[in-house]
Amino acid sequence: MSPVVEVRDLRKSFGKVRAVDGVSFTLEADRIYGLLGRNGAGKTTLMSLLTAQEFATSGTIELFGQSPVENARVLEQTAFIKENQKYPEDFRVKHLFRSAPWFFANWNAELAGSLAEDFRLPLDRRMKKLSRGQLSAAGVIVGLASRAPLTFFDEPYLGLDAVARQLFYDRLLADYAEHPRTIVLSTHLIDEVSTLLEHVILIDEGRILIDSDAEDLRGSAITVAGTASAVDDFTRNREVLHRDRLGGLATATLPALDAAGRKDAAAAGLELSPVSLQQLIVRTTTSGEDPS
Amino acid sequence: MTAITATAGTPGTAPSGFARILRVVRLNLANPWTTVIMPWIVLGAIFVLSYGIWILVFLSVEPGGEAEAREGMQWSGASMWIFVYLLVVAVQTMNLTFPLALGYGSTRRDFYLGSAATFVVLSVMWALGLTILSAIESATDGWGIGGRMFTTIFFGGDSPVWQRLVICLCISLFFFFVGAAVASVYVRWRVLGMIVFFFLLGLALIGALALIFAVDGWPAVGDFFVTNQAFGVSLWMLVPTAVAGLAGYLMIRGATPR
Repeated sequence: MSPVVEVRDLRKSFGKVRAVDGVSFTLEADRIYGLLGRNGAGKTTLMSLLTAQEFATSGTIELFGQSPVENARVLEQTAFIKENQKYPEDFRVKHLFRSAPWFFANWNAELAGSLAEDFRLPLDRRMKKLSRGQLSAAGVIVGLASRAPLTFFDEPYLGLDAVARQLFYDRLLADYAEHPRTIVLSTHLIDEVSTLLEHVILIDEGRILIDSDAEDLRGSAITVAGTASAVDDFTRNREVLHRDRLGGLATATLPALDAAGRKDAAAAGLELSPVSLQQLIVRTTTSGEDPS
Repeated sequence: MTAITATAGTPGTAPSGFARILRVVRLNLANPWTTVIMPWIVLGAIFVLSYGIWILVFLSVEPGGEAEAREGMQWSGASMWIFVYLLVVAVQTMNLTFPLALGYGSTRRDFYLGSAATFVVLSVMWALGLTILSAIESATDGWGIGGRMFTTIFFGGDSPVWQRLVICLCISLFFFFVGAAVASVYVRWRVLGMIVFFFLLGLALIGALALIFAVDGWPAVGDFFVTNQAFGVSLWMLVPTAVAGLAGYLMIRGATPR
């Protein structure tokens, strides 16, 4: 099956700033992608480029096999409510839910209604009077209820409390199971969404650092813990991603160990534990910097 | 499991061009309160206030001065704010509705054509409404007391009703499309674009004034307005309106929402 999104050597500069700096990747149909990265890493710019809200400086983008730029057939399949989305003057939540169905063929009003209730979103309130969390909720609802074949969520959890965030994750998974589609979710709350994501793309300073299946990624590193001297001995001839030391105890994060490596670690009295996606990504994005 | 329309590798379908433009019109009118209802309420309020002022004026004029007072009424600007309001609606459409339309997956082309259609629809509404009011004003000799709000010099005064309709239509279109074009400069190039635009506009105005002075052209300018009357001038306004409409389209085609 050909991919939903195919990007080759994409670049976008704003003046001297290279927001997206030579990026290539593909997105397959009916998967949930996490677009991870620190603030300012280029996540929103990348999603804006995919939905043709921004124009690429160079490189190619294909959605469903065609360029999205001014392409009604392609853009018809997308939904992208930005984290800092602007709304018409005096627009109220009800106007949003009234107008969205005109643009999304698969819009489900029932879903939008029940989500609005769950998120306790006041339908009669002006968009510009909404709290940060309510704005996020409105964007999340449009994204979910649109059931667009290619849906983008731009930091959808901003300002949402823990209950509302969990609600979003649960409703996303439930609706996705019934109506599979391609979902791209940008986030820096990595651990919270890690169970949701099937594939992870990590960008930093406009470049892709990781483009990997989430499961593979979780298995790609391991933490060993024990006395400092045992950890030092064990890691002497191995690649170390990260090290921590507290008194006489130490931990080290290493690339995944083979069976022999695990055996050695056990023999040295070291404890092995999996690395969370978040830790892995923090290690990867700070690897160039010396943490000491 | 229900399949969602587009499968990978096929872009799926989109509604017809007409449907895509129509839904942008609906988006622009999704909240009719701001675009349609509110200005009529304000107009009603101003009418009530003006009515009170007319009564005061005619009560206070000396005997014999009434004709002069009636003469002065035709210069009333009590309705001119409407056109400023239309300009503001156009500016907000380009600045605020544009980003939402793109988020909904609209193309820039469909957004602009839909907004242009909205401006035409609203212009026709205002032209019809204001012309009907002006016909009533004429028929009732100024609402029974000689007041003037819709038959002012700017609306063609006592010219035939069909001409008043055309005048209102042209003025409305002018303010919508010029507002949209200026806003498009902002949407496309932000603050820097605005500074350059107003600098060039100022330069052009000064240039035009200099030219008129240089060739001693003020009588010719006066003649233009006298000869063409409100009707002719309003038809001439269609030229900058069309230029603004085209310029707005070209700018929005390359604009990115922020």
